[in-house]
This record gives sequence, structure tokens and C-alpha cells, in this order.
Amino acid sequence: MKKLAISILVLAFVTAALAQTTVRIMGYGGEDPRIVARLLDEVIGDDLAEQGITVQYEPLEGDYNAALTNALSAGTAADLFYIPAETAPGIIASGKVLPLDDLVDSGPFITSLVDTYTIDNQLYGIAKDFNTLAIHYNKDLFDEAAVEYPNENDDWDSFANKLRGVAALDDDVYGACFPAEFARFGAFAFAAGWQPFDAAGNTDLLDERFVEAFSYYTDLVKEGVAVQPSDLGEGWTGGCFATDNVGVAIEGAWILGFLRDAAPNLQFGTTFMPIGPSGERGNFLYTVAWGINADTANRDAAVAVLKALTSTDTQQFVLENGLAIPSRTALADNPFFAEGTVESEANRIVFEGAASGNVIGFQFGKVGTDWMAPINNALTAVMTGQQDVNAALSAAQNEIDALIERANR
Amino acid sequence: MARALSSSAKPNWISQQQFNRWQARRLWARAGLTYAVMLAFAIIFLGPILFATISSVRTDPTAYPPTLNIPQLSPRNWAAAARLGRAGANNRWWGGFAPGADVPFEIIYFVPEGQEPELPEPVVPRRRPGAGLGSVLAIDYAADYATITPVKEIERKTGRFVVRDEELSGQFVTYAFRILYEGDGPEINRLPLDITAPRRQSYARSTLSLSRLERRGRVASYDNVAPGVLGYVLYNYRRTFSEARSITTERSLFLNWVSNSFIIGFAKVLTTLLFASMAGYALARLSFPGKNLIFILILFAQMIPGQVIFISNYLVLRDGIFSLSRLWGQTTLLNSLTGVILSGLVGAGAVFIMKQFFESIPREIEEAAMIDGASQWQRYWNVVLPMARPALGALTILTFQGAWNDFFWPFVVLTTPEDIKTLPIGLLTFRNVYGGTGDWGIILAGAVMSALPIVILFIVFQKYFLEGVSFGGTKG
Repeated sequence: MKKLAISILVLAFVTAALAQTTVRIMGYGGEDPRIVARLLDEVIGDDLAEQGITVQYEPLEGDYNAALTNALSAGTAADLFYIPAETAPGIIASGKVLPLDDLVDSGPFITSLVDTYTIDNQLYGIAKDFNTLAIHYNKDLFDEAAVEYPNENDDWDSFANKLRGVAALDDDVYGACFPAEFARFGAFAFAAGWQPFDAAGNTDLLDERFVEAFSYYTDLVKEGVAVQPSDLGEGWTGGCFATDNVGVAIEGAWILGFLRDAAPNLQFGTTFMPIGPSGERGNFLYTVAWGINADTANRDAAVAVLKALTSTDTQQFVLENGLAIPSRTALADNPFFAEGTVESEANRIVFEGAASGNVIGFQFGKVGTDWMAPINNALTAVMTGQQDVNAALSAAQNEIDALIERANR
Repeated sequence: MARALSSSAKPNWISQQQFNRWQARRLWARAGLTYAVMLAFAIIFLGPILFATISSVRTDPTAYPPTLNIPQLSPRNWAAAARLGRAGANNRWWGGFAPGADVPFEIIYFVPEGQEPELPEPVVPRRRPGAGLGSVLAIDYAADYATITPVKEIERKTGRFVVRDEELSGQFVTYAFRILYEGDGPEINRLPLDITAPRRQSYARSTLSLSRLERRGRVASYDNVAPGVLGYVLYNYRRTFSEARSITTERSLFLNWVSNSFIIGFAKVLTTLLFASMAGYALARLSFPGKNLIFILILFAQMIPGQVIFISNYLVLRDGIFSLSRLWGQTTLLNSLTGVILSGLVGAGAVFIMKQFFESIPREIEEAAMIDGASQWQRYWNVVLPMARPALGALTILTFQGAWNDFFWPFVVLTTPEDIKTLPIGLLTFRNVYGGTGDWGIILAGAVMSALPIVILFIVFQKYFLEGVSFGGTKG
């Protein structure tokens, strides 16, 4: 009897040892390895260990999309990997991503995020976190100019007038910092009711709603109310904002960490994007999802890891440590958002931005991020006065048509 | 140059004196031109490096417009930093904030005529690192342990000061306070400080230069008011070591990267010197069937760029060189230094340089050794190799530099964990972490440090380098 018990024990031990699976996950380099390590240490590691799963994070430095494409085609891709929204259609079209419909319940996640990773009615990724744009304003400048702070009821006109008020303060003070990038300007086009792609998958830059938004954005720069970051010797809006000479920056929650280092005393507030002519706000959804390798040998373990990495506990930890904004709707009531600090308030507005108005994923079909180039060029040309709006947009339209045609070929 | 001048003949129609003067002028013109060209080259090549080095100590290296008036390079601040570091943690070099600290601080404001000076409000803020690896780590905050004594006005002096492009008369008012660490607690390496004053009161000077003026002149903000000299000047350098730490071992990643680069560099230098000289000697001196074919193959191998064959090399390493690596217990050579070293034991170019060099050594020397009864190995090891020192010196520096700066191949082979990377790939990690938020100081500091070994190597080996290259290049 004793012998039997021992042999059963031994057998159980051996199977447990055999059942130990290593799930490899691939993601960005930089801070992410450290964040995942903290997650494994402090939140999900024990649970996974009980299931016999060890997780190994493999950061891909440099150009993530190039590195992931290489890994997928060489067959060395991990069981789980990041899928950035902007390149998701291309990665998913390769057939290397496992559909998740039957494996994961997407119900608890924010709908627009689920939509971003739903292609042909199949779900391919669960967003790990996200960001949207918000208005960050310098309270000192608005106080000095005796202008009311921007607020959630602003429409385009009242917003522009407030910026004009701030810009009137001094020669080297500007109302806002507007980069010549679709990645920021696009939110205005969406607020005008414009959609990047029609049903046939084409882009219309000569649509009157797009032209209206384009003129609004570029006119403010030409008028001297808004300024391009490069004109202040800065690389991006955040740098502009940190100089104390710019009233408003339109950025996501990523600006918070930057300001902590570059301008720790800047007194700023955050509010929603202004309401556009369509009666709605416009916004981008920047996100990265976890997807599962279709060729994985450890499908069950990979699903378990994916669930752990997008679990409520994980997202709560990430949120409360100020590292990212959760993709689960249930976390809207997290006490962190109600803390009342400047940063928690900014995070709340970015979180709620996902459900307010015309929110469109930072995604450009199979064309990928190249799709933005013609629009960015047109923005630069008009802002610097090299071309007028019509000429710039007609040129951009031709280029974008060519890009779309090439991608669909 | 002198020889060239004396050989130019004097025409008959000018006097000897005129000719001499003309010759002297020409000499000076040539010397001037040569120096001008050399100076221009030096500025073009060294300027960016110098500027990067200087910028790497600044709080915001990309601040525009660029300036050479850098607080970190002013002796006044060095002295203050040392004094404050001593007051903070009894450490004049690296500073800090330790129990028992008593840090005195003074700040001078300019108050225009007709305005009444007001006491500024100092605060030790709870400043959490915002971006980069530092933001993910949990740290102790000086704010939790510091107390500030009440601010006292200690001096008023009249004078003139430029405020927003306008010179005004008024008075300079000096305020003083102390920051204390009472009771027990951890030693904290940074003591940030914010001093707020009304906007009409302009900041003029303080014990230590401020890091930045914020809120349109209202807040004088300091990243660390107890830095110590080195902590003040080399803050970004210190961060490269202290912030990036291995997830598993908590060791400094930057140190790991540096040592990996050194290991690979030294190993490659040793194997290259040995194998290239042996192969070069064989190709230059021995006669055996197929010698020319082998030489042509080596030349051919040199012509193929690494990018063409890296996939096959990658697969060979993945399988541990046809499972050979299992002999010493490695199933794959990916993500191991052994893999990088084994795949670069010797380069075709090195063999070529050594062959050319050995051919330039007179055969008679070896024949003499042969008569003395030297064996083949002795002739190589005791006679020819010592004569090849210039070529070996050049090879050392070229190989080490190549290995040290190599980016592509280690980037392909060494992907995970972070600890295994070499310095150039590590710098890419830094760029990804810090570049996105414009924190260039730490990246510049890392880049400057990665350039140092090569600079030192060049200085030490420059004699060999010049000799060796001229040997390798001209005796074809």
C-alpha cells in the first residue's frame, strides 16, 4: 500500500514536471520588459506557476514591426506577441494570428478597442491598454491672459478664440502647438464627421468635411495662434508644452511622464477634445493588443497567459502604478481615476475619450502608417505657406490613391 | 616641401632678393593653407564629438539655442556641489541625502524699485521619475524625510538687473534656509527642490545654479541640491549605470553591456591575431597544392557582405554549428557570447593583410634561420612573427574597433535577455526607452562612454596603426 502511494506520488511529481510549459512572449523593448517582469513578480506569476506555465519575455528592440515580420516568417516568433493597431491589418492578413472568438470573452473590454482588432467578424487581439488624445492646458498662461480654461463644452470656435486670447499675451507665446502630423490633426477631421476610408476602401481628402478640418487646423498656424514644434526647436508637442510658452498641447497620457521630468512644476489641466462641426468630438485610439501565434505548440498555455496579461488584476496594477490605461470597461470606476490629482484626472479624461464622439483606431488598412505621409506633407506645405489648401490636398489625394492601389494589388 | 621649393628654378628677369622673398611668401602661404585645411578637418570631425561630450553633462542637452555657458562646467557650481554634497551625506563626490543632513541653501532675487520683497517658499517635491526605466522602479523620496527651516532674509543690496529685455534698478535680496534630515531612514541619492516666489521678483542667483526656471519665472526648480561634484557634473553618466538594471540579477545592465563588448572584442582580437598570422604565413611562404585556390576563396569570402549570408549563419548558430555545441552543453549558440565569438574567429581581410605583410619580409631572413636549424614553427613564431608587430598592431586596432562597433550581427544573434547584449545594441535600448520622451542626456552619456575605449585604443596604438596601414596598403 505504502509503495503504491509512493509510486503514485512519484508519478504525480513526474507528470507535474513534464507539464511545465514555457510560453514565450514578444513585445516592445524599452520599459516593457521591466513592466512585464513586475507583473509576473507581483501579480500573475504565482497563478501561472500553479498551472505549470513559465513566461519568458523577449523584447524586440528597434523597428518592432520589421522584427516581428521577420520572426513570423522565420518561424521563431513567440507564442504570444504585441499587435500594434497601426499595423494590425497587415499582420493579421499574414494568417499567422490565431482567431480568439472561441477562446477569450471580449465582452468586458471597451467596444472600440475590440472593433480595432476585429477583421471580417473575427477577433484577433485583446488590447492590453490604450491611449486617446486630450487637451492639456497651461493654467498659468490662461490665468495671465485672463482667458477661461478650455472645457468639455468648447466647440471649434470657442476653442480657437481661447487660443487667440492666450497668443495675444506676448510675441513668443502661442495658443497651441500643432505638429504637421495626421496622428494629431486626424482627430479634428474625425470631429468634422470625416471617415478615413469609405465602404470601398478609398480615401477622399477632397471631402468638404476633411477640407474644413484641414483649413481650421492650418489656419490657426498661419494666423500665428498655433505653432509647429520645430519652430520652437522641439521635436514634439510635449517638448513645446514644457517650454511654458504654449497654452495648449494635444497629446495622450504619455505626456504625463514626460512632464514629470521636463517640467515638474508646470500647472496644467486636462479636458476633452473640442466639439467639431458634426456636433461630436473626434479622437484617435492608439493601442497595442496581445495576439496568439497561429502556429503555437502551446495553445492552451498561451491562452492562459493572454488571459492573465489582460486580467482585471493586471490592468488594475498597471493603472494604479500610473503605467498605462486599462482596456476593461469595469475599471472606469477604479478609485485611481477619482483621486483628484492632475495626473489621475488626465488619465480619466484619456480613458473616457475612447467612448466620446467619433473615435477611430490609429489604423490605416493594409497600407500601414505610410498612408499618413501624403497628408503630413500637405500639412507641412500649407502651414509653411508653400502651397494653398486646394493644391496641397489635390496632390495628396493623388499620392494616397496610388498608395491604396498598390496595397490592394 | 623645402626640397620642392629649392628645385624650382629662378627666372632671369628678377633679382635674387626678390626671388627669395617670393619663395618665403610661397612657403608661408603653403603652410597656412595646410594648417587651415587640417584645422577645418579637425573641426568637422571632432566638433560634433566635442559638442556631444559637452552636451552630455547638461540637464537638457537639446535646449535651443545651444550654448556653451553650461552650469555643469562652471567651477563655482563645482565648489557649491561639493559643499552641498558634504552637507547632505558627508560625500563631496557623489552627494546624497542621509540621516543627520543639514543642507544650507541661499537664493538671491532681484526686486525692482517700488516693489516690496516677499519671502519665497521652498518645497522638497515628491518628484517621481517620469519616463524611462527609472519610472518603473519603486524608489524612496526625499520629500518624505526632509524638513525645511523657515526662510530668512539675510541681505539687501541695490543694483541693476535685466528683466525681460529691460534693465531695471532695484535691490538684490538674499534669502537663506536649511534642509534637514531628522530621525532615521534610508540614504536617498537625490534631493530635489522647488522655490516659488511671486512673478515680479526675478531669480538672480543661488548657491547652486538651478536646473530650470518654471511657471514663467515663478519657480526655481532644482533636480538635486546635494549632488557632490561628480554627482553634479556626471549626473547623466551616473544614470546610465544606476537606472538600467537587469530584471533577474539587478546588476547594472550598462556594465554588463560594456563587459560583453570587451569580452567579444578581446576574444576576437586574440583569435584574429593567431589565425590570421598563421593563415597569412602559410599563404605567403608555404607551398602546397591548391594554395592559390584557397587564397582566391578567401578573397571571394571578403567580397560577400554580411547581410547576404546572415540567414544561413543564423540557422547554423541556431542549431549550435551542426550540434557541435552540445559537446560543451549548449543546445543553441543564439543569445550567447560564444556564438558571436565563434562566428567571427577570423576575417578574410585580416588574413589578406597578414599575407601581404609576410610577403614583404625578405626570404633571406628565414633562410638564415633555416641554416641555424630552425624548424618551420620556430621560423614563424620566433623570427617572422616578432617582425610583424606593426601589422599585428594595426590588426589589433582594426579588429577591436570592428568588434566593438559591430551592430548588425550581435543585433541578430543576441536578442534576449537584456543582460547578454553588447554596448551598441544596449544603446538602442536606451534610445527606445529615453529617446521617445526627449531624454537625450542619458543616451549621449552612454554614447560618449561607448566611444572612449576606441579613442584610448587609437592613442595607445596610433604608431602601429599608421605603420601597419602603410605596410598593408603599399606593399601589394
